[in-house]
This record gives sequence, structure tokens and C-alpha cells, in this order.
Amino acid sequence: NAQEFTLKMQSSDSAGVPNFELEQDWAKRVGVMTGGRVEVEMLPVNSIVEHAETQDAIAAGILDGHITDTSYFSGKDPAFGLIANPVGAWSAPSEMLRFVEYGGGKELMNSLLNPRGLQFIGAVTPGLEAFVSSVPLDGVADLKGLKMRAPEGMVQQVFAAAGASPVNIPQSEVFTSLDKKVIDAADATVFSTNQAMGLHDIAKHPVYPGFHSMPMLEVSVNKTKWDSMPADLQAILEMSIRDLAHDMDARLAMKDMEAVAAARKDGGVTIHNWSAEERAKFRQIATSQWEKVAARSEDAQRVYDTLVKYLTAQGMI
Amino acid sequence: MFELQSLGIEYGTLAMFVLLLGFLLTGMPLAFVTLLIALIFTLGWFGPMAVPLITSRVFSFVSSFVFVSVPMFVMMAAILDRSGIARDLFDAMRLFGGRLKGGVAVQTIFVAVILAAMSGIIGGEIVLLGMLALPQMLRQGYDKNLAIGVVCAGGSLGTMVPPSIVLIIYGLTANVSIGDLFTSAFIPGFMLAGFYVAYILFRSYTGKNIAPPPKTEHIPREEKLRLLKGLFLPMLVVFCVLGSIYGGIASVTEASAVGVAGVIASTIVRREFSLAMLKSAALQTLSTCGMIVWIGIGASALVGVFNLMGGIKFVSALITGISDDPTTIILFMMLILFILGMFLDWVGIALLTMPIFVPIVKDLGYDPIWFGVLFAMNMQVSFLSPPFGPAAFYLKSVAPPDISLGDIFKSLLPFICLQILAVALLIIFPGITGR
Amino acid sequence: MAVSPVDPTHNDIPASIVPDALPEQVPEVSGLMGHAVDKVSSVFAYGFILAMGILIFEIFMRHVFNSPTLWVHETTTFLSAIGFVFGGLYCAARDKHIRVVIFYDIVGPKMRKSLDVAISIVCMTASGFFAWAAWLMVKRATLTPTGDIHFETTGSAFNAPYPGILKLFLLVILILLVVQFLIHAINYVRKTPVMSATAKE
Ligand code: NA
Ligand code: NA
Repeated sequence: NAQEFTLKMQSSDSAGVPNFELEQDWAKRVGVMTGGRVEVEMLPVNSIVEHAETQDAIAAGILDGHITDTSYFSGKDPAFGLIANPVGAWSAPSEMLRFVEYGGGKELMNSLLNPRGLQFIGAVTPGLEAFVSSVPLDGVADLKGLKMRAPEGMVQQVFAAAGASPVNIPQSEVFTSLDKKVIDAADATVFSTNQAMGLHDIAKHPVYPGFHSMPMLEVSVNKTKWDSMPADLQAILEMSIRDLAHDMDARLAMKDMEAVAAARKDGGVTIHNWSAEERAKFRQIATSQWEKVAARSEDAQRVYDTLVKYLTAQGMI
Repeated sequence: MFELQSLGIEYGTLAMFVLLLGFLLTGMPLAFVTLLIALIFTLGWFGPMAVPLITSRVFSFVSSFVFVSVPMFVMMAAILDRSGIARDLFDAMRLFGGRLKGGVAVQTIFVAVILAAMSGIIGGEIVLLGMLALPQMLRQGYDKNLAIGVVCAGGSLGTMVPPSIVLIIYGLTANVSIGDLFTSAFIPGFMLAGFYVAYILFRSYTGKNIAPPPKTEHIPREEKLRLLKGLFLPMLVVFCVLGSIYGGIASVTEASAVGVAGVIASTIVRREFSLAMLKSAALQTLSTCGMIVWIGIGASALVGVFNLMGGIKFVSALITGISDDPTTIILFMMLILFILGMFLDWVGIALLTMPIFVPIVKDLGYDPIWFGVLFAMNMQVSFLSPPFGPAAFYLKSVAPPDISLGDIFKSLLPFICLQILAVALLIIFPGITGR
Repeated sequence: MAVSPVDPTHNDIPASIVPDALPEQVPEVSGLMGHAVDKVSSVFAYGFILAMGILIFEIFMRHVFNSPTLWVHETTTFLSAIGFVFGGLYCAARDKHIRVVIFYDIVGPKMRKSLDVAISIVCMTASGFFAWAAWLMVKRATLTPTGDIHFETTGSAFNAPYPGILKLFLLVILILLVVQFLIHAINYVRKTPVMSATAKE
């Protein structure tokens, strides 16, 4: 079959990161599954536009789609921050994915994205992020006064509410600032990637499994392009994302466990695992912040209502 | 609209380079040359609807935090320039370097290395050295070409000596330890600075009228003390900046603000401070940063357009298609970096090539840390190489009007050769990085 | 003061090396617009000093009071960005953007005049396209899909509307660049070709 559609998709990951390779593998599978009718080209972060600008670029038809952290668009509407990372809501990828697929998350995302010219196809996640710290942290009380870096979005606000002192330094200064103890801790990414970046050489008290963040990576494309696709291709794309979610969860979790085992064997790094009570305490602080974000816009309120309704029905809160 | 897409990526890339060179030579402002080429290709390849890609990149470029230290360094330079601090510093330096022919030029490299340890980015340091060291070296009778080369090459060390934003961006792209990159870049950085020193000494002792003759006369004790006082304040400022970085008080960018505050405090101590002085220093900062940043803006936009044209796939295929021999592939990468260095700003080159090179280098089984250092060394060449040599542009923005860009590029040639030598050594003896 | 014997050819500082405050006047071709840009420039220049001041403030708050601010880094970046963007217009008005003048220097006065006019027109046209593109960008950054005014914010806990303002500011500067280059073009056309000793660079 001849090629009918090309999709230029920008990722929020760098070219050398495992997650980007998984996304490239997905792109190849789409080619195989559609018999070459859809060709997906994955482009690394910032290659066409900066990470926070992809939504506009897709709407304008410059890019065809993205696989990116929805939190980056918190500045467009706080609703994006809340749905992307409702800190405290999910303790495993499957919990978030259930909400997206069957709990109203997908419809919610499309109600936010369609008016902006985008179509949401599905969500994936790198999993629970580990926390990088140079001081031992065993519970919420230890967060008091902790000088830490957190990115834009919900995470920063939750840590502030938990008594920490979030500093808004950019990713490019995290390493040197941690190294020189300008900050004590940082919200980085999953354990294995943190390990590869050498963050545990300078901050020897990581918290794993993480307690604070599990970003949702949205896969969306230009709506006009999506609408022009025949139903079979749409169905293949949707299913392939569900598979990518599984792939990403499984393979990154394996990498994490491998890295944890290596770190334990090498010594020098103390891995802290919070107790169920401490995790619950943090969760409570986090959920108390949802309402504040919800109050910031109508759409954020809608996200809040849907989320709380779902979690209540599931007996999760 | 004219259909550039029919050119294909191969001829499209070629056309891009030819147009760049052509417009560069017309005397059009550089910042607008790259922006214009980006515009032509956006319109011709994708149509008008894609033009917001360029403005989006302009917005992202100016709002990145890493550039905040550039105005800080420029402001430091502008204030120092308006006080007597710089002159006193260089007079005092002559006290130490006086016995050595070419001593002050060697010391300028030494100052450049210290500045490099204070900052992760280039631009500000070249401006600083260009406003301070260049006139002082010329005043003391140094050869113009040597003095220019020392300032541009020395001022570019900021991305070779840790901390370095090039290495940080590389580390984030390649998913390798930034700490390891810094450690490995240390010796190569000093090696390069060592080459510069050796070259200065060689020229000073073998050439005629290259450096002022060494001081032979006796300087009275009181005079020595008076001169030494000139060292005190600058050293205190350096101590505060380095101390705040390495003492964990401030991040690298914050430390550049400490430097400005320190220099302002110094002028107050010396009773040279006035609001008029501060205003004129700030205006100079505005003007110099306007020039520096707008040059980078165009390159960043051009890379975005090229990537959208399919540049990543094209360059990737070009490299893997060239040979099966890993060494040939690495050398070919160096060639690509060298050629890009003639046309683009380092931000553009890093943005374009890192995502392509890193996976290939990893696949070939090379140490990505070593390659990161090699990459940073290559960027040193790109800062100086004509026709698009940012270091030359930065210096031009503050150099006396009678020093033309042609003069500057001519002066840089020997230093470019030294940098290429350093690149070659890193390839032949990867052990220099300690890996 | 003891001065060592120095080669006389190198003894004099070239006349041009004086630590002069700021480059010359606004060039004539920039017209009234150039003077207007010059007038307001100090506002943006002071922005850099303010950025320096608040960075020091942040270090102070973090170390003395152990309470880092949420707003300093965003605000510093914003102030610098505004300065950078304005700096582009400032350099255009003062004709201080770097040029490579190899060819420009060797051609005759008539050709040089034509080049000046052509470059101004090309720069004006390009700026016009960018201004139009910036307008599309600004629409997305200042309006919600339903048409309500909402300036894009940083999305942090501080959540300042800096991105929205900066995009709008970029649009304004690009429009002003169009005007400035138009004035340049008109004034270059009017000018009688002269053989200047050192061309601009
Ligand atoms: Na450095
Ligand atoms: Na170059």
C-alpha cells in the first residue's frame, strides 16, 4: 500500500534517553501495522519548537502531533496542570490509564484540546518518578525547609504546601546546583535515568519508589489531520498507544529495578522507601491543593469534578 | 508560492548554505541574514502558515534562563571599563608578568581561565576581555593580531572549562553524567589554554614587535605596593563569585549577578561610582546584548526550519552511509561540525547535531563522555571560524572601530589551528579525558 | 612611575580606544523614530540592573532567611528577555547590528546606496512577515478558545503572565522594526550617494 499520511511528532524527551527510543519503536510499529500507510517521524525535544510550544505548533499545522507532558501547558490553562499530574491521585501507571481510558479522562482531554485544534489519542507515562535528594528523607516531616527544585505545574505547589522551599531553577542548572548544595533535592525523573545522569553520585539519598509525581504524557495530533483519517487508521493509532503505554511502563520499570539493584550492589547510595502512612500523609496534603488549582479556571474545575467523582466511585478517596 | 520542496533535502541544504553565504556578503545585518533564510525556506517549503515556527523559536530563545548570565558579564565589563579598575589591574599584572616577554598576554589567558570557571557560556567574557584586556595590551605595545586572538580564544574557554552549558546540554541530550563530563573536560580545557600560552611565548620570543620587551629596571617598594593595591579589588570580586559557586551559595547564573554587585561595590569603594556611570553601563549592556542575542536568534530559527524539512533524517543517513569504519564516521562528524561552525551559532549546532550524533556514537561503542568533551572542543573552533564566528562578532561589538571583522578573523587563524590540534589530540589520545 | 622602554610604534594608544560612554549619536537615517527608541531605551537598560538586584535578593533570602522566592528566576528571565528583544530594535535604530562588509566596502557609492536601500527593504519585508506570524502567536497566547482574554502564564506556583506579555511585546517590537526599516529605506533613497571613508560595520 502507498503511504497516505505522514505524522511529524515531537517528543518531550531527548534523543539519547531510553523513553525516546521506546517512542521511536512505536513509530516503526505503526508503519508495520498500517502496511506503510502511516509514517510516523519522531523528533526529539526542542528540535522544531520548544517543549512548551508544541500545542500551538500542532494547532497551526506546523507539527502533526506530540508525545509530551501535559503539565507544560499549565500556563495556557491550569486545567492541563491538574489533569496531567494530580499529585497524590495515582500510585501506579495502571490507575491513571484506567481513568484516561474508561473513567472519563479521554473525553475530558478532548474537551480541552478539541477547541484548540488538537485531538487526544491516548496517554502513556514513564511511571512514578523517583525523588533525588542529598539529605535523608523518610517522611513528610523531613520535607520542612527542604531547598528543592520543582518544575512548573502542580508539583511545585504541593511541595510548598508540604513545607518545603521550592526553587524554580531551570533543568540546566539542576546538576551544578545539587552538586554544590545550592539545593538539597530535586524533582527529576525516573530512577534509572537519574542514575544514568549521575544524579545519585552527588545526591546519595534517593526516594524510590517515588511518592510525588507521575506525569501523564499525552499523545495528540492535529484535529483536522485526524478527522481526515479513515476509521481503520484511527483505530490502529489508538490501539498502538494503549500498547505503547504498556511497553513504556514495563520496560522503564525493568530499567528502574535494574538500576536500583546496581545501586544497592555498588553501595554508597541509600535508597529510602516511604512507609504507607507517610505516603498517605503526603497524598492528603496534595489533594488539598487540587481545589486551589480548580478554582483558577472553569476547565480546571471541570477536571477536578470529574476526577473526584471517579476516585470516589472507585473508593480511592 | 515558489516550490522549494521540489529541490529535495540534499539540494535544499546546499541552497541554504549558498544563500547564507550570499546574503552574508551583501552587508546585511547578520541577525537578519539567518532570519531571512529561515523565512525564505519556511515560506517556500511549507507555506505562510508555518512562519509562526520562527517567532515561536525567537520567543523561546530570548526567554531561556541560560542567557541571563550574558547581560551580567557584559554589565560587569561595562562598569569596569568606566572605572580605573581595569587599568590598575593590568598595570599590576605587569609587575608579575613583566620579566617574561609576552607576560601580560599569558596573564590574560590566565584571567580568561578564571572567568571561564565563573561562567558556563560565552559572549560576556569576550566582551569583558575585549573592553578591558585588549586596549590594555595594545597600550602596553602588544601586536594587534596576537592581542585580538588572545581575547577571542581565551574568552571562548567558558564552554570548555567547567561549568559549561555546552556540556550540560550534551549531558541532558545523551543521558550521561554531567559531573563526569565536567571532570573529563578539565584536562582538555587546560591543555587548550596551555597551547595558547605556548603560542604566545613562541611568538613573543621569536617575532619582532610582538610583545613589549621585558621589564628590567628596578621598581621601588612603595611603587610595588601601590601597584599591588590594584589587584586587591578585582581579586576580591573573583573570590566572591567563585566562592559563591563553589561554596554552594549561588547557582552559576546567580553568581554572575554577584559579580556585577561586586564590581559596583568596588567602584563605590574607589569613589568612582555615579548614577550616570551606571546608566551608561546599562545602556551599553542593552546594545551589546541586542547584538549578541539577535545573532543567536536567527541560527536557532534556521535549525528549527531545517529539522522540519527533514534535516535530522538527512544528516543521520549521510553519516551512517559514509562508511562502516567507526573512525571514519567520527572524522566525518568532526567535518560536519566544522562546516556547520562556519555558518551557525553553537546553540543551533548543538540543537541540530547532538540528537543525531549521540545515538550513532553510542551504537558504535564509543564512550559518550569522551565524545561530549570532543564536541565541546569542536564548539571552540566554531566560535572562531569565519564567516560566522560568534567570538569575532562579540569582540567587534566592543572593539575600536578601526579593528575590522577581517582583522579579527585574520588574527584568529593561528588559534583555530591550535584548536584543531586539540581536537585531533583528543581523537588520537582519548585518554586525555581520563576515560 | 617607572616605565620600561617600549617599541615606539606600539606606544600610542590608537585614538579610537577611549573608554567612551556610548557609541555616537543616533544616525540620521533612523529619523525621529530612532530618537524615540533612544529616549525609552534606558527603561529597558535598567531592567538588567533590576534583574541583577533581585538575583542578589534571592541569594539573600535563601541563605539568610532560608526561604527562597518563587518569583525571582521567572522575573529575571522575563526582564532579560524583554531587554534582549528591545535590544534588537535599539541596535537597528542605532545601526549597530553586526555586518560583514567585505563586498560593501569595495563597491562604489552608487552601488552602496542601492545596497542600503535594498537591505532596508528586505529587512522590512522579513520583519513584516514575522510581525504577522507573531500576531497569530499572540492570539493563542492571550485569548482562550472561547474568546476570553487570558494571558499565557508560566504555569508555576508563582504563575505570572510573563509568556503572554513577552509574546505581545515581541509583536510590538517587530511592528516597530518594520517602521524603522521603512524609515531607513526612505532616507537612504533620499540621500545623495557619498563615498564614505570607512563604511559602516
Ligand atoms: Na565555564
Ligand atoms: Na564559526
